Amino acid sequence: MNAIDKTTSADAPRSRYSAGVMEYRKMGYWQPDYEPKDTDVIALFRVTPQDGVDPIEASAAVAGESSTATWTVVWTDRLTACDKYRAKCYRVDPVPNSPGSWFAYIAYDLDLFEPGSIANLSASIIGNVFGFKPLKALRLEDMRLPVAYVKTFDGPATGIVVERERLDKFGRPLLGATVKPKLGLSGRNYGRVVYEALKGGLDFTKDDENINSQPFMHWRDRFLYCMEAVNKAQASTGEVKGTYLNITAGTMEDMYERAEFAKQLGSSIVMIDLIIGYTAIQSMAKWARRNDMILHLHRAGHSTYTRQKTHGVSFRVIAKWMRLAGVDHIHAGTVVGKLEGDPHTTKGYYDICREDYVPQNLAHGVFFDQDWASTRKLMPVASGGIHAGQMHQLIDLLGEDVVLQFGGGTIGHPMGIQAGATANRVALEAMILARNEGRDIVVEGPDILQDAARHCLPLRQALDTWKDVTFNYSSTDTPDFVPQATAAE
Amino acid sequence: MRITQGAFSFLPDLDDGQITRQVQYCIDKGWAVNIEFTDDPHPRNTYWEMWGMPMFDVPDAAGVMFELNACRKAHAGRNYIRVSAFDSTHTWESLRLSFITDRPADEPGFALDRQEVDGRSIRYTTRAYAADRPEGARY
Amino acid sequence: MEAVIDTPPTAPLAAPDGGEQAIDLRAEFTESGLARVLDELDTDLVGLVPVKQRLREIGALLLVDRARARFGLQAVSPTLHMSFTGNPGTGKTTVALRMAEILHRLGYVRKGHLVTVTRDDLVGQYIGHTAPKTKEVLKRAMGGVLFIDEAYYLYRPENERDYGQEAIEILLQVMENQRDDLVVILAGYADRMERFFTANPGFRSRVAHHIDFPDYTGGELEAIGARILDGMNYRLSPAAEEAFHRYVELRMAQPHFANGRSVRNALDRARLRQANRLFASERPVTAGDLTTIEAEDILASRVFSGGIDSYPPLPAR
Ligand SMILES: Nc1ncnc2c1ncn2[C@@H]1O[C@H](COP(=O)(O)OP(=O)(O)O)[C@@H](O)[C@H]1O
Ligand SMILES: [Mg+2]
Repeated sequence: MNAIDKTTSADAPRSRYSAGVMEYRKMGYWQPDYEPKDTDVIALFRVTPQDGVDPIEASAAVAGESSTATWTVVWTDRLTACDKYRAKCYRVDPVPNSPGSWFAYIAYDLDLFEPGSIANLSASIIGNVFGFKPLKALRLEDMRLPVAYVKTFDGPATGIVVERERLDKFGRPLLGATVKPKLGLSGRNYGRVVYEALKGGLDFTKDDENINSQPFMHWRDRFLYCMEAVNKAQASTGEVKGTYLNITAGTMEDMYERAEFAKQLGSSIVMIDLIIGYTAIQSMAKWARRNDMILHLHRAGHSTYTRQKTHGVSFRVIAKWMRLAGVDHIHAGTVVGKLEGDPHTTKGYYDICREDYVPQNLAHGVFFDQDWASTRKLMPVASGGIHAGQMHQLIDLLGEDVVLQFGGGTIGHPMGIQAGATANRVALEAMILARNEGRDIVVEGPDILQDAARHCLPLRQALDTWKDVTFNYSSTDTPDFVPQATAAE
Repeated sequence: MRITQGAFSFLPDLDDGQITRQVQYCIDKGWAVNIEFTDDPHPRNTYWEMWGMPMFDVPDAAGVMFELNACRKAHAGRNYIRVSAFDSTHTWESLRLSFITDRPADEPGFALDRQEVDGRSIRYTTRAYAADRPEGARY
Repeated sequence: MEAVIDTPPTAPLAAPDGGEQAIDLRAEFTESGLARVLDELDTDLVGLVPVKQRLREIGALLLVDRARARFGLQAVSPTLHMSFTGNPGTGKTTVALRMAEILHRLGYVRKGHLVTVTRDDLVGQYIGHTAPKTKEVLKRAMGGVLFIDEAYYLYRPENERDYGQEAIEILLQVMENQRDDLVVILAGYADRMERFFTANPGFRSRVAHHIDFPDYTGGELEAIGARILDGMNYRLSPAAEEAFHRYVELRMAQPHFANGRSVRNALDRARLRQANRLFASERPVTAGDLTTIEAEDILASRVFSGGIDSYPPLPAR
């Protein structure tokens, strides 16, 4: 920042302004001929410079401010292999249909990062530069993580395949629900919801992000009643069941205490919120690995920086960091539900979570080939405003390796929670059966549901209740390379 | 009660045409289909008895149905039978689909034993009523 | 499964106006792809006139069966198991492959693949080995055609504890009960097959079509040779053609003559000699050289001196 901070502001005369920025470009942060090495970390930023600032200069400055971050030659540079440590912006393209914004490709040497630390990776890449004055806005769109770096992380301890093996559930999405109302239920009442939902046919229930330990329900009460519900539902169905016990708390010590109690009670899964921070997430991932525990991550708070297209960090980057950090579940969007989610962009997130090799796909907002080098697969979770009547769309858009969370769509069933759960499960199984038989579920979906409803009254009721509910607003975070679309019609 | 393990337990029992189509789906994906049976349906009883080996080189579902019918002849009525499909693709290398095709006429279900320990904590044990009787005489 | 056998593939046709509904058999013949398969068979395979005729007849029968089923006229699915009899190299395996395709086109087998086996693939070495082995083969063949070469070796009456009997019993059962899951073709010499059927009437009653493969004439064998070479991008020089004509005449009269297979083997050896000749000549070769078999490549065969054809040449005795 230094000199530029002191000498320029957005309104300052252009000559003074560009003089400072020129320095970055000259100092080796702009290297158009640079060929990124296989071991480089590459970041793609969407750069929106202040009026009058040259995009290449601005991009070089981003490279500088996210790496060695000096605006002038300091003699101490000469004590280091400074060429190696400088981030190198090697390509700047205009953003399609978006005058004033540029995509800047910046390569970082592997030695700039501490192995196995999201805190260090993120502090380096987004630590300083987002407040840089010559920029109106800046967004980290995507990152290419080299295999050499990926291999320094443990990744998910359980992952999709082993989670399925533990649960003994294959070939269909898992079904969950968030207990509602979010706030105010006593532990005893809360467990009732869990029992009804699991017995009715769900695989999982879930605490919401802000269910921690409030005056109406102490966390230990919640855990005890929930585990009674889980075990009772398990015995009455002969099926493995679970509930994500949220162990998010004010301190790590509290979180460990809650995690240990969950384990002691025999829970198969615990949950944390994104807002606990990257280091806490990695700590809990290590704990989960040591304790055969599935780790569910609720992406609480992410929209504050992922949603707007011009500024912040794309969720695809957060998803990559979380796969490295080693959570097993992550909320990744529904497309058809009540929360933000363009179908193509969401498809990109799902690929990042589930594939071992994700090829570049600009239409899905995926800018780089990403080799995960056998890092376990992260189970995406779709939650928020979805119901049984959308089953065909959900399976078509999201595939089968996903947890579908029907909160309102279970608990809001007119005949009760068990009926709601059964409706969802029957709709799901009927749709998978039909898909596997080769039927076109997108076209025939509504008929398949009606057929299934003939032997299932709760499904008939669900279809009647929610038949007209859709959330068709256009998304804000859309890919730049295709016309945007909404999923439900 | 009705045990709801497997992908299709909430639907009416599949008929042979439906089973054949699911099996063909698996075969067409390149997965090896396997038949297993058990008289201990505990949710964590992972290893059911194998009826032969997974069928790796059978291109048509009729081959699997042939074995399923043989397995039924030997075990139906007194056992659960399930069909599972293995995918050997790198980074999967596990099951892709699993569903129950046959169940005993009567499913007595499970008892939930509670052992009160350490204050308000409880240790839970799920126990199949059928497993109270010796193996082979359970259904 | 059982239940599927007796129901017609599609619902009976009823004319919307109550009048007589008609099926255009010619159009069905073309649409099913059967016309194309039979035409290909005509052009690809030399001779075999009676065999081709039988295949057309069977094709027509199945087509008519299908049409009858659509009118709700058919009562049982047709028995399609067959026996192909004839000497070695007369094209039985080759035709079986086409047969599988024909049956697939007409919807009588779902996949149309051919699984070729002999006794060793079906019969085990020790007690308890045969049933799983036979079932394994049957499972692989389901949805297609199972071709059992020299099927009569399954039956060894001289050894009353021969495991072949177990394979026969399983085969018979599946041939009877799963007629819509697979078609079995039994192949071998005509006389031995006849004795086999006499000793195992169960097989005779389950086999609906007997097709006899005659030996080829000299002219047909030469034509087969030309096809084989053409397929590999070789040709005979005029002098080599003349030599090959004489070769075929001599070879036909020798023991262990195996029709098409002998021709294929002879040409394989001629190619080896040609390659050796070109290599030894130590001069640059043209595309013409590389594709042409010369008379000397044929005439070097010991068949011309009353011996056995081989490459490299057998040591003189
Ligand atoms: N009619 C024919 N036209 C062309 N090639 C033939 C013909 N009959 C046999 N052949 C060739 O002869 C060889 C042996 O034929 P095959 O079908 O295996 O005989 P079989 O099963 O009766 O022993 C094959 O390579 C085949 O290509
Ligand atoms: Mg042959």
